[in-house]
Amino acid sequence: MGLRGGRWAAGALAVVLLAGCGSGFPRDPEGTLERVRGGELRAGVVESPPWTEVPDSGRPSGIEVDLVEDFARRLDAEVVWVPGSESHLIRSLESGELDVVAAGLTETAPWEKHAALTRPHTEIATPDGRTEKMVLATRLGENGFLTELETFLVEREERS
Amino acid sequence: MTRSGAQARFGSTELSDGQARTLGRAVRLERITIGTLLVTVTVVALVAGQSQAMKVAWIEDSLSLLPPVAFLVAARIAGRRPTPSHPYGYHRSVGVGHLVAAVALLAMGTFLVVDSGSGLITGERPPIGVTSLFGVPVWSGWLMVAAMGLTSIPPVVLGRMKMKLAEELHDKVLYADADMNKADWMTGLATVAGVLGIGAGLWWADAAAALLVSTSILRDGVANLKGAVAGLADARPTTYDDAGPHPLVQQVETVLRQQPWVRDAAVRMRDEGHVFHVEGFVVPVAGTTPTLEQLAAARKRCADLDWKIEDVVLAPVAELPEHQVPR
Repeated sequence: MGLRGGRWAAGALAVVLLAGCGSGFPRDPEGTLERVRGGELRAGVVESPPWTEVPDSGRPSGIEVDLVEDFARRLDAEVVWVPGSESHLIRSLESGELDVVAAGLTETAPWEKHAALTRPHTEIATPDGRTEKMVLATRLGENGFLTELETFLVEREERS
Repeated sequence: MTRSGAQARFGSTELSDGQARTLGRAVRLERITIGTLLVTVTVVALVAGQSQAMKVAWIEDSLSLLPPVAFLVAARIAGRRPTPSHPYGYHRSVGVGHLVAAVALLAMGTFLVVDSGSGLITGERPPIGVTSLFGVPVWSGWLMVAAMGLTSIPPVVLGRMKMKLAEELHDKVLYADADMNKADWMTGLATVAGVLGIGAGLWWADAAAALLVSTSILRDGVANLKGAVAGLADARPTTYDDAGPHPLVQQVETVLRQQPWVRDAAVRMRDEGHVFHVEGFVVPVAGTTPTLEQLAAARKRCADLDWKIEDVVLAPVAELPEHQVPR
């Protein structure tokens, strides 16, 4: 890289640092975290017991449902549950109609091009001796929101 | 590879004690480089996550292993004496090593430019979340920034040290390697800017930084390929940094012309890697034929100019052969 490249990089660094001096860091390109805080957390849910259970009427329940409800309380937000099929909900996540999807997903779910999978919230041993790591899915690139959620997950790990 | 002063050589060219020490130092520096790179590659892989810029930086660091390896192999092979099957010696190993490294850079540079460019066009948004450092949640971006900051320093220092040795040894692989190392801080800075850009909510910053870095890899590849091919295609020798024609070409010609029995002289010279092979065409003053002693003395005068010149062939001719020494 020539010297010109260096000056470009230095300039870009300055712009980035100035832009970063606004609100929290990391920031969401689409402002998910700011919108959810004190507002609505739009959560997709796919029937996948024991992680999620979706009754014909009334609120969903399950381990991941409780997790998302806990996280929403931390943000002072109300959860709006949207039931649906996995691929459908992931597409909604991609287009920004949802903020998070709880579907009993594992770390190896084939959605990494379409959604940001969180760090594992639970690890379980399968009958054939492997370890499955359970994750939630969030919208790609919304790193402020992802960081808030994962910080919540780490703190929860530390408590237990 | 142990090199005591008396044994160090490039083919049939004995190296002076000073040069042998320089070569030893270069070998040592390249080993340190490889060691540092292995640590760098491991650290960057651990924190890379899904950032395109980090991925590109990691590949660049892995590719930076090639030139030092090429140098070490070439330096070892170039030390062999000429044999009946390799009468010119093994100096060309330097050129071959250079070519291999250049092609690898070029191929990887092209791949990365396409990969990063498509990420920018399709608007890929890299997720960077949280790493748990002993139970404390830390944004992974900070770890990437720290890793890039730390791993950018050693190559710059090593690059500057190797640059001096490359000139002394006339070693173009060493030069290419030092040049790439010296530019490493820019790669680091661009990657840091990309990651901080993601943090600032500028999703394109990462892909843009990756594009910048991969363009520099591509440019390194093109420059090195040109140099390596020119060397292997017997182009006129250039200085160690390819900045211009090597002054020795002119100097040898001048030395030959200064012989009292010489009316005119021209040389053609090629860079075998480290050392030059010289063919000199001399036209004696009209009506005389040079003696063997005169020819031997002229050859010695040429060889005394520089350690790189030892393989000198002189041909007395009636007039300068235009097709062998084009003007």
